[in-house]
Amino acid sequence: MIICERKPIDELKSFIAGKKKVLLVGCRGCVTVCNAGGTKEVEILAALLRLDAQKDGNELTIDEFTLERQCDPEYVDELADLVAKQYDAILSMACSVGPQFLSRRYPKEKVYPSLNTCFIGGALAHGVWAEHCQACGNCIIHNFGGMCPVSRCSKSIMNGPCGGSSNGVCEISKEVECIWHLIASKYMDEGRLAEFAPLQPIKDWSKSRDGGPRKIVREELVK
Amino acid sequence: MANTTTKSGAVMVIGGGIAGIQSALDLAEMGFYVYMVEKGPAIGGRMAQLDKTFPTNDCSICMISPKLNDVGGHINIEILTLTDVLSVKGSEGDFTVKLRKNPRYIDMSKCIACGECATKCPKKVSNYFNEGVDTRKAIYVEYAQAVPLKFSINAEECIYLTKGKCGNCKKVCPADAVNYEDKAEELSLKVGSVVVASGFDVFDPTVAETYRYSQWPNVITSMEYERILSASGPFQGHLVRPSDHKEPKKIAWLQCVGSRDVNRCDKRYCSAVCCMYAIKEAVISKEHASDLEASIFYMDIRTYGKDFEKYYNRAQDAGVRFVRSRVHTLTPTTDGNVILEYLDDLGERHSETFDLIVLSVGLTPRVNLPTLADSLGIDLNEEGFIQTQPLTPINSTRAGVFACGAVNEPKDIPTTVMEASAAAEAAGRVIAEAKGTMTKTRTYPPERDIKDEVPRIGVFICHCGINIASVINVEEVVNYCKDLPFVELCTNTLFACSADSLGKIKEAIIEHKLNRLVVASCTPRTHEPMFREALAQAGLNKYLFEMANIRDQDSWVHQKEPVKATQKAKDLVRGAVAKAALLEQMYQTKMGLTKEALVVGAGAAGLNSALSIAQLGYPVHLLERSDTLGGNGLKIFSREKDVRGYVANLVKEVESHPLIKIYKNSVPKTSHGFVGNFETKCQGPDGEFSISHGVTVLCPGGHAHTPKSYLYGENPKVLLSLDLDELLASNSPEIKKPGQTFAFIQCVESREPERPYCSKICCTHSIESALTILDRNPEATIYILARDVRSYGFREKLYQEARSRGVRFIKYCVDHKPEVVAGPNGRLQIKINDHILNRPLLIEADYLTLATGIDPTPMREEIVEVFKGQLSAEGFLFEAHMKLRPVDLATDGQYLAGLAHYPKPLEETIVQAKASAARVATILSKDHIMVGGVIAVVDPDKCAVCCTCVRACPVQVPKIVRNEKDPALRGHAFMEPAMCHGCGVCVSECPGKAIKFQFFTDEQLLAKVEALIVEKKAKPA
Repeated sequence: MIICERKPIDELKSFIAGKKKVLLVGCRGCVTVCNAGGTKEVEILAALLRLDAQKDGNELTIDEFTLERQCDPEYVDELADLVAKQYDAILSMACSVGPQFLSRRYPKEKVYPSLNTCFIGGALAHGVWAEHCQACGNCIIHNFGGMCPVSRCSKSIMNGPCGGSSNGVCEISKEVECIWHLIASKYMDEGRLAEFAPLQPIKDWSKSRDGGPRKIVREELVK
Repeated sequence: MANTTTKSGAVMVIGGGIAGIQSALDLAEMGFYVYMVEKGPAIGGRMAQLDKTFPTNDCSICMISPKLNDVGGHINIEILTLTDVLSVKGSEGDFTVKLRKNPRYIDMSKCIACGECATKCPKKVSNYFNEGVDTRKAIYVEYAQAVPLKFSINAEECIYLTKGKCGNCKKVCPADAVNYEDKAEELSLKVGSVVVASGFDVFDPTVAETYRYSQWPNVITSMEYERILSASGPFQGHLVRPSDHKEPKKIAWLQCVGSRDVNRCDKRYCSAVCCMYAIKEAVISKEHASDLEASIFYMDIRTYGKDFEKYYNRAQDAGVRFVRSRVHTLTPTTDGNVILEYLDDLGERHSETFDLIVLSVGLTPRVNLPTLADSLGIDLNEEGFIQTQPLTPINSTRAGVFACGAVNEPKDIPTTVMEASAAAEAAGRVIAEAKGTMTKTRTYPPERDIKDEVPRIGVFICHCGINIASVINVEEVVNYCKDLPFVELCTNTLFACSADSLGKIKEAIIEHKLNRLVVASCTPRTHEPMFREALAQAGLNKYLFEMANIRDQDSWVHQKEPVKATQKAKDLVRGAVAKAALLEQMYQTKMGLTKEALVVGAGAAGLNSALSIAQLGYPVHLLERSDTLGGNGLKIFSREKDVRGYVANLVKEVESHPLIKIYKNSVPKTSHGFVGNFETKCQGPDGEFSISHGVTVLCPGGHAHTPKSYLYGENPKVLLSLDLDELLASNSPEIKKPGQTFAFIQCVESREPERPYCSKICCTHSIESALTILDRNPEATIYILARDVRSYGFREKLYQEARSRGVRFIKYCVDHKPEVVAGPNGRLQIKINDHILNRPLLIEADYLTLATGIDPTPMREEIVEVFKGQLSAEGFLFEAHMKLRPVDLATDGQYLAGLAHYPKPLEETIVQAKASAARVATILSKDHIMVGGVIAVVDPDKCAVCCTCVRACPVQVPKIVRNEKDPALRGHAFMEPAMCHGCGVCVSECPGKAIKFQFFTDEQLLAKVEALIVEKKAKPA
């Protein structure tokens, strides 16, 4: 899923400085699952902003609404009645797709992102998420023992490990495991190192960002 | 069956401490009626006096207090306080007990524990609950959480009762509860069995003159120190010394005062708990004041229980100093300090000044135990405790009379709790056929459905005598509350909890068609169950009730500000009313259960558990991985008891019991379900099979650790303890050869960072083996190389015997371990530094036995995988609570026993296994289980299937399940109502707000909070 985290409160405050009526929109998709933008997070952020406004003596009304998803126009449509109430700002608590869809659907509104969209990843434990994919458009993890060197190697190298790998840890930080160490270890454990040894061919990056913004059109679905 | 028996279905439990409490609760849940006989005015015992408990540092009173209320509110437990046992006639199954109920001078049905009497009582006396550190009045309750919470008058101290003058308490009592004419009365009861749990006395160090306890105020006992540390103690938890109330900077604990001392005290045994409580007191003291210097003077540190050794290590890391020495002289200084003089390990003399000396006093038999034993017709042992036998550790010398806890040997709380459950098993088993013949059940009128009714709230505001009314203007609060939204009736009452008021509440519910009730009085902790009961009796769902605590949280804490307190009372009631308006009917549903047990593992633990469960009348499925029953017990040789014979006999009994089905060569593969309804798939020799069971007992065991050190496996003369057992059992001539030297090394690969725990049994076992060798070969030379000799409890007597018969004990420390090499003539050479001479010593031995301790079973990972348990860092199964639930696993309906829990001697394994049977019977005795109520419920439509609840739940209850209406739709989280503990963690974590916490919903709590803060007077139209 897409992993996000909420922007620092000061940044969010700066978005709504001087504004009196704000709509906070959550999303029940990825950001609910990664505890960043679901109903509960919307309630918490709304409460924080209200408290802050009260403390500073500012007049502020915040309405809350959580959409099923913000990345599908049908759901974004559901906001129409609310948006008609004329908010000074709409804060989207989805990944950056959300505020973009909101802006496009409601072009007169000032829409702000409340989250930073961090990466595509998964939960290692409650409250811990790690990057596992960089959306390169051409998946090759089967060549690497089911691990992705594109997203999980600091240098995205295809023929590792590099000289910066030490005791299973990447030279950039002790917190970063060397994926190449894991890949190589796995093959060694399975006695298949020889099979793994040949050089990997140069990766086709044309399906990644190198080819510009991407779009998928599935002809059989588009009628 | 039940109506043809001549046996009584009631049990007398003597003693209201933690042992008696656990026994009584188990028995009552097993289907027996319990008379709890307590000598004092309230139950709670020693545990109520303790500050914190080791090794978890939990608050002692906080842990026991809910249990006190469970006992107090149990329909099948009758507490008889201030009561002595006079005689027990008859025989097992049919005893006639004579009791004397001593006068309390207070009418328990009237006393509302307001404390007015004690305020006005002029007579101050020494407060024995605080170990005499401060005073109380002659009319008193022992402590704030006491059950029953009723005052009593001490006749010897009361001025009126001794001199006929005063009478203050009677004058001021608002409930007219004082009765100076109260007389002792004799009662006669019929019971089928008796559990003795009357506990211990703390050793009085006055007789050990060395310590000058009676002369100097700053030499105190550890029990006094517990009270000093306690927040409810004489100094409100401020750590000060008695003489001048100054904070001590340097404290010494002196161990083994009144223990392991035949010279001064005539106490041969080890009191088993003092090392741990001293370490705990030192650790807690350093939490009170981090710069405090804490020193413990000891002979051997005996941290042998689960997680004890880690606690000891942590204490050392925290800066607690340990000095191996028995202090020989104490001298006072003029400023109240005390100088200790002592010799260290190397014989050097030291002199050191301390601000406070804490004597780690031992446990002794109750002073009245001989009289009680006489009345019961049971024997005491030579130490004055109740006589039991190693293989029947809770049986007294009289059939049908069982003893548990420190009454038969000093022991810690977890072991006491295990014994208490085991005693419940024994006491219940001998009258199994009379189960349910004496118990009472409650019946209720049909419930009125109020779902579609507009809230009609009744509010009762309690004066609590003058407790509330002397501070809060109750009339004003009543008038105010009449106008709150949905309030139909608001009235005041002198004592809301009196029988008469409860009657009026019930009448009001019916007369005014009330559908919600609010009582503004004291705390739901003690009183909520009672008011809920009143609702049920009036035909209203019991959850339609809310309390406002205007006593503890208002009148008591704002005594000097009556106007503001009255305002706060209005606020609190307004909040309660706002929540009450949103309360919904909630139902617990009845669920059937499979009245059969699954026991995994057929060692001594599993066999005992299975046999006891079957003897209590429930079918058992006994699963054993190998093709033989018996486990480690078949390999043990003991000088004190015939272990192999015992186990063989046990196997025979299990094999011939009609209710036990044995599955050999079988292992569990998967298990599903919850308490009452488990389904376990197993793999047996003939393929897969499935067992339905209501409860599970895990006894997968452990085994001797195989060492890599000291030439084990290389030299045939290096043995493990069980190898030596085999030589002894087979009466090998090697043992009797003249001139033979036997050496033992203790703690082999134990109590080290890789295996940090103590295996508890090895010291005693090596000593026993040494004594057996000496029995057969008196000329043999024996060395035992040990770090600390941990012969706890009565095992100390074996240690003394071994020393007196010439066994040489040499202490070593972990940094200077012995070295073992093969010597000439096939002998072994052991090099060790002698701790007294401080010289290297060379021992030539014919045999070296390594005490390697116990490893948990290699099956542990699979077991926890199948049954969803948890393992400790050392690989032992985690119990539900280390102190008070040592036989339960975290999942309801699952229990454990034996070495899989922690290394322990056979007698403790037997106790834990029998305890597991009692715990099992508390479930299987019922025809159904009640589920639901205050639990978490998921709204599937809101669930994002994010797994947050699955990960956050402390007891692994939530699961993601398929959508029942349409499997093609997304699933959702689900909490099985029978498993949810109602802690609310998942509710607060759920990012989609999809989980509702019944009785504490967001709407209810927000309404309450909002009403508390914002005054809304207008009644809705």
